Order: sequence, then structure tokens, then C-alpha cells
Amino acid sequence: MYSAEIISPFVMLNLIIIAINIILAVSLNLVVGFTGQFSIGHAGFMALGAYASAIMSLNFNAPFIVSLLVGAIVAGIGGIIIGIPTLRLRGDYLAIATLGLAEIIRGVITNIDYLGGAYGLMGIPQRTNWLWAFGCMLVTVLVIKNFIQSSHGRACISVRENEIAAEAMGINTTKYKVIAFTMGSFFAGIGGALLAHYITFIEPNAFNFLKSFDILVMVVLGGQGSLTGSVVAAIVLTLISTFLQSLAELRLIIYAIILILVMLFRPQGLLGTHELSFKLLQRKRGVSHGSHSADA
Amino acid sequence: MAAILQTHSLGISFGGLKAVQDLNLTLNEGDLVGLIGPNGAGKTTVFNLLTGIYLPTTGDIIFKGESIVGLKPYQIAAKGITRTFQNIRLFGELSVLENVLIARHLHVPYNMMHAIFRVGKFYQGEKEMRDEAYELLKIMNLAHKAEEKAKNLPYGEQRRLEIARALATHPSLLLLDEPAAGMNPRETTELMELIGFIRSKFNVTILLIEHDMHLVMNICEQIYVLDYGVNIAHGTPEEIKNNPRVIEAYLGEGA
Repeated sequence: MYSAEIISPFVMLNLIIIAINIILAVSLNLVVGFTGQFSIGHAGFMALGAYASAIMSLNFNAPFIVSLLVGAIVAGIGGIIIGIPTLRLRGDYLAIATLGLAEIIRGVITNIDYLGGAYGLMGIPQRTNWLWAFGCMLVTVLVIKNFIQSSHGRACISVRENEIAAEAMGINTTKYKVIAFTMGSFFAGIGGALLAHYITFIEPNAFNFLKSFDILVMVVLGGQGSLTGSVVAAIVLTLISTFLQSLAELRLIIYAIILILVMLFRPQGLLGTHELSFKLLQRKRGVSHGSHSADA
Repeated sequence: MAAILQTHSLGISFGGLKAVQDLNLTLNEGDLVGLIGPNGAGKTTVFNLLTGIYLPTTGDIIFKGESIVGLKPYQIAAKGITRTFQNIRLFGELSVLENVLIARHLHVPYNMMHAIFRVGKFYQGEKEMRDEAYELLKIMNLAHKAEEKAKNLPYGEQRRLEIARALATHPSLLLLDEPAAGMNPRETTELMELIGFIRSKFNVTILLIEHDMHLVMNICEQIYVLDYGVNIAHGTPEEIKNNPRVIEAYLGEGA
């Protein structure tokens, strides 16, 4: 491919990881930022997607698109199964429950020999290229944006804003929490599947709670409730962690410092609930007089 | 006139405390009824029972001929009962328009797939919803604030927005929890006119809790008085004003 000659493999790797991280951050933002359900088990759903798709490719010789979809659907079903009981919980209780359940997913995978146990799965065909990663990222962002900017998305946001009022206005809050959680898990599954077919090797430890935190940091840093914020944060944090790769431990310290600084000076995240758009830039210059942006 | 809402010996206890006891309300279609009583009498508890936030320990609630006890709040809203809140519960970070749009979700004219694939039906449906929401905001004199964040509105306008949002669900019974709280006399007078106007315009039955006696006595046709969770009087404003038990409840014995 012509691009391979212009862009070095190192840059290519980063572009693909960035695209995958954008998928993960945007899908978690749907749950945490828009619907207000503080979930820290995103890596668990990634693991479901990664393993399901890897098994499809390794044992069933499925075409990549089928592997991807199976990964996403398995993760989505996992989201429904985990979402229905846990989404009754609020705030920190939900956070702990999702954290625990993601660790259970990891624990179960570690103990299934068919899935390679603690050693993981090796020799997954490398099928994720830049085109797949970018395409999936685009689909994820578009689907979630279209969902959010619709009546159903507003129903999710109303759950975040005031659950009691939302119920009183006829919103089935449990249903919309589960929908958001399932969509988020579905796309986390795609992220996991892309990753598995890029690095060709997966092990349960790659999907531990630290991975969930990495994604959560992107969401919080970018702004809970801002899709473009998640995109920007995914890019920035992926680049930072790449440049700090040689200093593995320092990377975590710098991560922590960034988080603390953001919480101190900009608790709503870089973009808050705003979206980066040309309209916003115009408004900043005082050109526009605030026309409604939901159909932008 | 047919009864739209009836409660039969409705009651709820929290531990040993009987917050509401043996309440028998009857609201006919098109009524404007007041629910009054001293602080802590259980008025808001009655609203919470009617809207499904609390499950009654005794009695039954019949709305349009069927029992609604045990239904979830969103199911009761879908049946046609919506409310405003005493301690305002708007979707603060969202615009005034979005607040109303969310309440229109009960009647959303497209489904999720239409929205995700952005088919024509979505755009058409979204336009309908927005037009209706704007129309409602115009009636409530909030159209010029449509794009403003709900939390940035002055207090009186927040209360009006709560009413607009409740109306957007197309209720047949509207419960107003202290709509005039925090309003100045001029705003209260405007609100009185608005409530009367809403009733005829939207064809709703209204039950309201209010401490402003001037408002209650002027616009309500029937009044129920609660004291310590017990319905101590029921009648027209004239009857209530002269009822010795009511005077005693408000002013104490010997007053």
C-alpha cells in the first residue's frame, strides 16, 4: 500500500492505537459522560470482544468482518447481562460493581483452557490495518453521535441530569441505562477485537483494571459528555504514553499528575460538555448568536 | 362529570410514622383542586404516592378507571399524570428547549434505528418535536430563553419551565407542587392567570399544593386540607375558610 511507504511503521502503529483508543473512550463516554453511570469495567468488555473475535479467526477461520461483529455482539450481550443487575446501583456502588465484574470476566477467561488460560492466545492473524481501524472509529463516533443527538440520547442525558425528574417525565430510566451500557460494551468489543487482530497476541492481564482506568482517564480528561473531548484526549494521551514508553513507571506518575491537575483546574475536563465544532469557534469569536447546535 | 382520579383510604407509613392516613380524594375531569395544610402535613407525600415514587401501605389509587398502584413513575407518566417538584428538579445543564424535548420523548415519532441511520423520518420527527416544544415555550413565555441553560434561569422562570415540561408529556392530570413558592406577588398573580389558562387550553385536571392562601382561595374550586397526614376538611374555599378545624390546624387551639 502506498501509505506504508510514506508513513513509517512506528507512526502507523500509533495511528491504529489512537483509533482504537478513540473507540474505547467514546464508547465509555456514552456510559459515564452522557448517561452518568460511573462504570470502570470497560476493559472487561474489551476482553470479551478480543477473545470472541480471536476464537472466530483462529478456530473457525472466519472473515475479519465476521470476527469483529461476533466480538462486538458477545461484548454487547455481556453488557446486557452485567448491566441489568448492576445499573440499579448508583455512583460509587456501581463503580465498584463494574470494576469487580470486569475482574470476574478476566478471572473466568484465565481459567478456561480453550481460551489459552493465563498464557493467552497467540498467532491471531494480523488483519487490523489503518483502514479497518479508522473505519471502525468513524462508525463508532458517528453512531454514538447520532444516538446522543436524538430523543433517545436526550433520554440518556436526562438520567444523568436528574433521574427522579426523568422518571416523572415518562423516561424508563432503567431501559436507557441498559441501552447506553450495551452500546458502550458493543463498541468496546470492537475496540478489543481490533486490538487482538493488530498485536496478534492477547492475554487476560492486558484487560485488567488498569486498562479500564486508562480509558476512564481519557473520558474524564476530555470532558464527560463531550465526544470530541474524548477524541482529543485519546489522541493526546496515546501520544504521551508512546513518548514515555521507555520510562514505563514514570508514565503512570505523569498520568496521575495530569489527572490531578485537570481535577484541580478544570474539573469538568478539557471540553466539559461542549463539542469542538466550527460553530463553537464562531461563537468564541462572537460571530454566531447561539443557534441551536443539536442538528450540527 | 366523570371522576378522573380517586383514592380509596390511601395511606403510607414510614416505620411507625403514619405520613398519610385514610385519604379519600375525588377529582373530576377539568377540576382545579387545592391540597393545603401546615408544613409536614404530608402533602408532597400524597404527590409521591400518586406518581409512584412511594408505594402505598394501604388503599388504592384509581386513575381513569384502573388502579395505578405498583406502577413505576414512568408508567404513571405515560398514563397521563405528571408533576412539578417543590424543590425544582430541572435538567440543569441542558437548554430550556431540551428540557421540554425530553418530556416529549413519551410521544417520540421515530425509533432508535431511524436516529442512528439518520433517515428522513428522524429529521421530520425531530422537527415536529421541536416545533411543538417551541409552541409550548411560547405559551409559557419562555421562547426567548429556549437556548439558555435551565439552571441559569431566574427562579420564577424555572418554575414556569417545570410546568412547561410537565405539560409536554400531554398529561390529563397535572400535579403542581407549590408552583408559587419563591415568587413575588406580581409573579404569583401572573401564575394564577396562567394556571387557569393552562387548564382550559390543555384540557387538564389540576391538583395543586400551595401555601399562598390568596392563590388557593382564588383559583381552586375544591380544597382538601391535610394535617398530620389526616384529611381534616374538604369543601369549597368558602367552607374551608370558615371551618373551625382548619383554623385550629393553622393557628393552634383557641385562636
